[in-house]
Amino acid sequence: MPANKKHLTKSFHQRFAKITAGFFGGYLVTVSLFMALSLWCDRAGTMVTLIFGGFILWAGLMVSAFLFKNGWLAWLLYLALTVAFSAVFYFNQYTATV
Amino acid sequence: MSNRIYNVLFHTHTVSGLVISVALYVIFFAGSISFFRDDIIAWERNRPIVAHSQMNADFDQILDTLAMRYGELRGRTINIRQSHQERNVIINISSTQDTSASENARRSVYTYLDTRTYEESSYYSGYTLGEFIYRLHFFAQIPYPYGYLFSGFVAFFFLFAIVTGLIVHWKKMVSNFYLFRPWARLKTVWTDAHTALGLIGLPFQFIFSVTGAVLIIGTTIMLGPASSLIYDKDRDLMYRELLDQPPAPAFANHPVDFDLSLNELVNESQAAWGDVVLSRLCIQNFGDENMNILVEVRPQTKSALLGLGRATFDWSGSLTAQTSDESVNYIVGADQLMRRLHFGDFGGYGLKIIYFVFGIITCFVILSGVLLWVEARDKRSTAPWKRTANQWVASIFMAISLSMYPAMALLFSIVRLAHDPGSPTPHVFIYKVFFTSWLILSVCFAAWRNNYLTNKYCLFLGSIFGMAIPIVNGLVTGNWMWDTYNEEQLQIFVVDAFWLITSLIALLVFFRLKKVQPSNGQESETRIEGRKLAGARMF
Repeated sequence: MPANKKHLTKSFHQRFAKITAGFFGGYLVTVSLFMALSLWCDRAGTMVTLIFGGFILWAGLMVSAFLFKNGWLAWLLYLALTVAFSAVFYFNQYTATV
Repeated sequence: MSNRIYNVLFHTHTVSGLVISVALYVIFFAGSISFFRDDIIAWERNRPIVAHSQMNADFDQILDTLAMRYGELRGRTINIRQSHQERNVIINISSTQDTSASENARRSVYTYLDTRTYEESSYYSGYTLGEFIYRLHFFAQIPYPYGYLFSGFVAFFFLFAIVTGLIVHWKKMVSNFYLFRPWARLKTVWTDAHTALGLIGLPFQFIFSVTGAVLIIGTTIMLGPASSLIYDKDRDLMYRELLDQPPAPAFANHPVDFDLSLNELVNESQAAWGDVVLSRLCIQNFGDENMNILVEVRPQTKSALLGLGRATFDWSGSLTAQTSDESVNYIVGADQLMRRLHFGDFGGYGLKIIYFVFGIITCFVILSGVLLWVEARDKRSTAPWKRTANQWVASIFMAISLSMYPAMALLFSIVRLAHDPGSPTPHVFIYKVFFTSWLILSVCFAAWRNNYLTNKYCLFLGSIFGMAIPIVNGLVTGNWMWDTYNEEQLQIFVVDAFWLITSLIALLVFFRLKKVQPSNGQESETRIEGRKLAGARMF
C-alpha cells in the first residue's frame, strides 16, 4: 500500500529541487503572474483574486513540480515564467508612469 | 496517469499529510468548537444576546462618555465596530489633528466598551474562554507572527494534501466510495474510512483550507511583494483600495458646532435600507467643517449572503452618498464571501451544527490517515525498530489529538468554577488550566501506547467532564438548562445543550466499544479491537 519506492526520486538534490521549485518557485510564479495581470485588469480586483486564487494556483504549481523527472527543469521553467511575468510588470509599470 | 506519477503523488500526499497531521487536528478541533464562539462568550459572561442584533447601542451617550474620558473629540476620527455578536463594541479614536488641542486629545485610544454599563475593558481583561478556543485554532498563543504563519502554512499544505489525495484517489473514486470492509484487516478499515469520509468532506475541506490560508496569511504572504511594488508600502492606500473604502477628507481646521444625534442618523439610514444590521459607524474629523459620518450596514443573512450599505453624512446631517445595502462589488464580495464561508455564520444554528459535524469528520479523516500510515507499514518486511518507531509516532499523535477533547471539556467547568471575573489577566489562568491538563493527558496516553484504550478513555473522560458542564453552570449561576430554555437565553442554552448531547454520544460510543475475540491467530488483540472502534466511531 505505501507508494512503491521504485518510482520515487532517490537522490537528495533531486528531491530538494522539486520541493523548493514547488514551494518557492511556485510562489514566485503565482505572485509575478498576478502582478503582471494587475496592469491590464482592475488592480484591486486582481489583488483580491490573488489573495484566494493565488493559494489554489500555488498548490497546483507545487503538485506540478513533482511531475518532472528532473527537478531542476521545474526550477528552470518556474524561474523563466517568473522572469517573463516580472519583466512585463517592470517595463509596463515604469513606462506607464513616466 | 502513469504508474510513476501515481506513486510520486501518493508519497507527497503521505508525507505532507503526516507532517501537518497533529497541527491540523488541533486547528479543526478547536475551530469546530469555535463555530459557537459567540455562544461560549455569552455563556461565560452570563450575558445572553438578542438574536440577530448587532451594535445595539446609544451612540450619543457613547460619544459623551468618550469625550469625558479621553478629552476633546474635535479633529479626531472615531471608529466604532463590533467584530462578533456581543455587548461590547470596539472603539478606535485617532489622535487629534488640531494642533492647539490638549495633551489628552493627542493620544490615540483603542478600547472595548460595554454598551449597557459603559464599563471599559482592555483586550486582556475582556479575554474569554471563547476567545481562547478561537485563538487556539490559529495558534495565536505562539508569539506573532510565528503562530499565524505556522497555522497559515498548515492550511496551505492541507490544500496541497487535498489536491494530491484527490488525484491519487481519482480512478477509484466511485467504486471505493461504496467499499467498507470493517471485518477485514485493520488497514482496510482505516483506508475505506479515510477515502469515503475524505470524499464526503472534500468540498468542506477545500473551502476551509483555502479560506483559512486567505484569512491568516492572505495579506502578509500573498500581498507581500505587491504591497511594496504596487502600493509603495503605503498600507493605508492598499487597505483602502482592497476594502473599497472612500478616501478620508482632509482636516479643514474650521470648527463647526455639531449637535446632531448620531442615533437619529443611524436610525434614519437603517430605516431606508430595511432589514439590516449596523456593521460600523465611523466619524471622520469630528467637529470640523470636513466632518464625515459613515454608517455601514450589512443585510441580515436571511435576506442576502453578501452586501455592504454605506451612507455618508456631512456635519450638517445631510446625506452626501448612499449605496444600496445589497449592492456588492467584486472586491467587497470576495472578502465577505471568504469570511462568511469560513465562519459559517450565514445559516443560523442548523448550518453551524452541520459545519461542526463536518469539522469533526475532518478530524477523523486526519487521524485515520495517520493510523493507515502505521498499519500499512506494520508488516514483516519492515525492520522491527521501524515498526516500533512508527507505533510510537502513532500513539503520540493519537494521544495529543484525542486528549484535546477531555482537556477542553474540563476547561469549561474549571473556568465556571474558579474564574475570577475581576482578574486583569484571565488568559493566564485559562492557559495554565488547558495546557497543563492537555500536557498531562497527552503524556500519560502516549506512554500507555495503546490507541484503542487512548480513544476509549478520552471519550470516557470527555463525556464525564462534558456532562459536568451544564450541571456546574446550573449550580454556580443558577442558569439550569430548563430555565435558559424557557427564558429564551438561547446562547447559554446552546452551550449547555452542546456539551450534554456530545457527552451522551461519546458515552454511548464508550459503552459500545467492546472487545471482539480474535478470529484468526495471526492478528493481535488490539487490531481486532480497533475494527470495532472504527465501526463505532463512524456514526
